[in-house]
Amino acid sequence: MDDARKAYGSMGKDIQDILIPAETLQKRIADLGRQISLDYLGLNPLVVGVLKGVLFFMADLLRNITIPMEMDFIAVSSYSAEARDQGYVRMVKDLETPIHGRHVLFLEDVIDTGLTLNYILQNLRARQPASLEVCVLFNKPEHRLIDIPLKYKGFDLPDQFVVGYGLDYREKYRNLPFIGVLNAEVLKR
Amino acid sequence: MNTKKPRPNFAHPTEEAFAKILDYYGIEWEYEPRSFSLQWDENHQVIEAFTPDFYLPQQDLYVELTTLKPKLAHYKNRKLRRLKELYPEVNIKLFKRREMQKLLIKFGLDQEAEKIQGDQAREG
Repeated sequence: MDDARKAYGSMGKDIQDILIPAETLQKRIADLGRQISLDYLGLNPLVVGVLKGVLFFMADLLRNITIPMEMDFIAVSSYSAEARDQGYVRMVKDLETPIHGRHVLFLEDVIDTGLTLNYILQNLRARQPASLEVCVLFNKPEHRLIDIPLKYKGFDLPDQFVVGYGLDYREKYRNLPFIGVLNAEVLKR
Repeated sequence: MNTKKPRPNFAHPTEEAFAKILDYYGIEWEYEPRSFSLQWDENHQVIEAFTPDFYLPQQDLYVELTTLKPKLAHYKNRKLRRLKELYPEVNIKLFKRREMQKLLIKFGLDQEAEKIQGDQAREG
């Protein structure tokens, strides 16, 4: 096993392969930060992240944005048994910042079906921001149901069960600094 | 949302699980609203057709779910290829067995994902 996986003990053993090493992630995020700094110069953008998976990406990206900006978070209910009983998705943590007339850049760690992102964008658009763009670190296009324009994109991911850098399996593995493919045996436990 | 509409008789529990996910996120859907003719006999009678499981009108997208094992999905794959040849303007997305399993696990539906493993897999 390589050193990167060894350092994470039992979690490292659950990883079959490292798909994107930590260094590659950081290099791409630095590139995104540079581009966003150019595009939003003078606009004082509000960067909005959706909890929880975006945490690591957002922290690293914002440190690579070199212009004045503000940040905020939202969270929506996941498709848990409890939430399913209520019948529909809902905002469990709303923005603290009014976005009417603001340039909003929405950050997402991964887009898969697009269902969650579609709900959030509809909600934000109704508040009439001056602009609303999406920056996603990981794109999984195979399962897309809702076509959503992505202004900034980090990586296309294959149709594999991957974890790390914010992506979880049953709330674990988010703290791995790389993107790894989960062993098939883990999914059967 | 379709919560006030009468629920259709779904052919497979996976389809019902998928419909509930769409409802949860407020995505309009229709169940098997259209059949596409694929083959005709010499009297122009349809002898083969294909009916996708779902249509999402806001996305103009048909969705077909399958829980068949890959070697058994051959017939359905052939139908889909034919549909794309005859109706290139139609957007259709196929969720294969493994993709359906991953999708259900992603939405925390582990038990439903287990139901489409092994010998219980059948046409969906």
